Amino acid sequence: MYFIQHIESITHQDSFQKDNIWNDLKPLTGENELISPDYKNYIPVAALRRLSTILRMGITASKACQEKVANEFDSISVGTALGCLTDTEKFLVTINTVSGDILSPTAFIQSTHNTISGQISLDLKNHAYNMTHTQNALSFEVALKDGLLCIDEGKNSVLVGAADEAIPFLERLRGSLIETEHPFTSGATFLVLSGEKGNSIACIQACEVYFTNENKATQVEQFLAANNCSFQDLDLILEAGSDFKSQAKKHYSFLKYSGFYQSASAFAVHMANDWLIKNGDDKTILIVNNLESNKLGLTLIHRNDVEA
Amino acid sequence: MRIYVTGYGVISSIGENVEETLLALRSEKTGIKQGKKTYSEHFKVGEIGWTNTELVQRFDLTQEASRTAILGMIAAKEAFKGHALNSDIRTGLISGTSVGGMDVSEIAYKDFLNGETDDLSIYKNHPSGTTSEQIAKELEIDAYVNTISTACSSAVNAIMLGARMLLSGQLDRVVVGGTDGLSQFTISGFRSLMIFDEEWCRPFDETRKGINLGEGAGFLVLETEETIKRSGKQPLAILSGWGNASDAYHQTASSPEGFGATLAMKSALKVAGLDPSDIDYINAHGTATPNNDLSESHGIKTVFGSTIPPFSSTKSYTGHTLAASGGIEAVFGILALNKGILLPNLNFKQAIEETGLVPVKNYSEGNTIKHILSNSFGFGGNNSTIILSAI
Repeated sequence: MYFIQHIESITHQDSFQKDNIWNDLKPLTGENELISPDYKNYIPVAALRRLSTILRMGITASKACQEKVANEFDSISVGTALGCLTDTEKFLVTINTVSGDILSPTAFIQSTHNTISGQISLDLKNHAYNMTHTQNALSFEVALKDGLLCIDEGKNSVLVGAADEAIPFLERLRGSLIETEHPFTSGATFLVLSGEKGNSIACIQACEVYFTNENKATQVEQFLAANNCSFQDLDLILEAGSDFKSQAKKHYSFLKYSGFYQSASAFAVHMANDWLIKNGDDKTILIVNNLESNKLGLTLIHRNDVEA
Repeated sequence: MRIYVTGYGVISSIGENVEETLLALRSEKTGIKQGKKTYSEHFKVGEIGWTNTELVQRFDLTQEASRTAILGMIAAKEAFKGHALNSDIRTGLISGTSVGGMDVSEIAYKDFLNGETDDLSIYKNHPSGTTSEQIAKELEIDAYVNTISTACSSAVNAIMLGARMLLSGQLDRVVVGGTDGLSQFTISGFRSLMIFDEEWCRPFDETRKGINLGEGAGFLVLETEETIKRSGKQPLAILSGWGNASDAYHQTASSPEGFGATLAMKSALKVAGLDPSDIDYINAHGTATPNNDLSESHGIKTVFGSTIPPFSSTKSYTGHTLAASGGIEAVFGILALNKGILLPNLNFKQAIEETGLVPVKNYSEGNTIKHILSNSFGFGGNNSTIILSAI
């Protein structure tokens, strides 16, 4: 078992440093902006100015996590689908418009995907294992699986996170490359996992990723069977789409709450954790990440057993 | 449980496959030349002299894609050649890349900026994750696909993750490595950092000024002991150690004492169960920037003390191929193990005054080489090391 010690999200919902994100959770309209915390509390003002949204979110969420757990992280694993889009676009504009030999390197330096995890290690002075994964809509799940593996290998304070940021350019791809009715949003969720229960309420029982075009219902059934449960045992399904709504006792499409970014299934983990805090009788939640039709991510969240 | 390397493939400016690469290494012939593209013509770069379309045709690829994906397909296909797909052998692919499909998306984006019609379908090749999915598709691998993006240590981190997933029983076999195609974005990026050497790069030389960029891909096939019994493949080498650590010093610069580098090398030695004195050759990261080479030298000195094994940087052969470098250099490492090769550090003349370290200067074969340590360090202080051992 992989116990969720703490979880923080910065999204278009009021989700940062909340007792329970369900208290204020509402379906997003296209009008909702990113709800930014006071980043100055986590990042020196001089540094803040040159940091894009994705870096601000990632650094702040992970620092807020570190404050809540006793041990320094002994592993940092971050997933991002499209990475630092603001700085990537900024540098693309620079190289196409600025002539002469002197180009500012800041946007280039901050354009690489691992700027997020690198900056976290730098700000926390953390020398541990530091990894950045990017696999389109499964970017969070592959980062999470690395974190779980780190715990299997004996690490005990494992930071796993996902972050993506929206830029206006994405709107041009709607309907052609990106099929979604949801607004493009930015979001970051970071959680601390441990092999020890501590004060945690819930744990991640299993996470699996699929890259085949096999029937998704069959894959879900096999995944549940491998974890000794079935649809009947699920109290809640959090799903990107709504393919499994008819089989669920309770069902939410998490994209309605997170908006569209490809690592939004990390926010669903936050929804699941807080759901179990709020709903004392519920035990098991399945997150179905079917955001892209050619792949599938499944994460099973379970309430910790109460010791007698 | 041992992790075996059972396949390898490589493409870079010094050769389009393992055989050509060995010939170039042996003849001490660099692939770095004056650039041929509009954005590279002012620099010395390790370019591969074919267009994307030409590469797709020459290597009989089934997909049009970005340069990063195409180079990856070529090297991964060579590595996977002769490996049968078998539903009993769960096979994954983990690739490292820093820019993904930038070489094609930057062209479309330029049209957009100029108010011309940009072909939106090109952007589908942009995500780094897509490059790996395209490579996996070319090999018909679908049990697991992942992309590591930690700048210049990406390929070594992909190799490391592959080994850990094999050990944990999540996969039976995994194709691992890295790929990066040159793009205007990357060339302008490193130009903005002002770390290009206008002459041929000189790793570990007192007069070194900076890097020459390169492009390419390098992939390995890793299998467990159990899988080998079923696949019947002959192992080429053992992947015996790996380590990753964060320097946590600066966004782009390495700590002067090579703290992260030291941690990465030490943890790889620990995983391998080896002492520093067991290492017979170090393939250094050795980018030829003043900062990296000094920092790495201090790290090597810290780990190896006064008995430093023969070491060299092969960046003066290929240029710095960024996310691909650790994969390409792993292929060099396997060649070195199997033929007892010490690879020369081309263009070296004068030791760095502060360290006095002298790398391997001439190519030689037939040396006794049992264990090789290979370093890759990335932006953001991401430091990684693997150790390859002879069978």
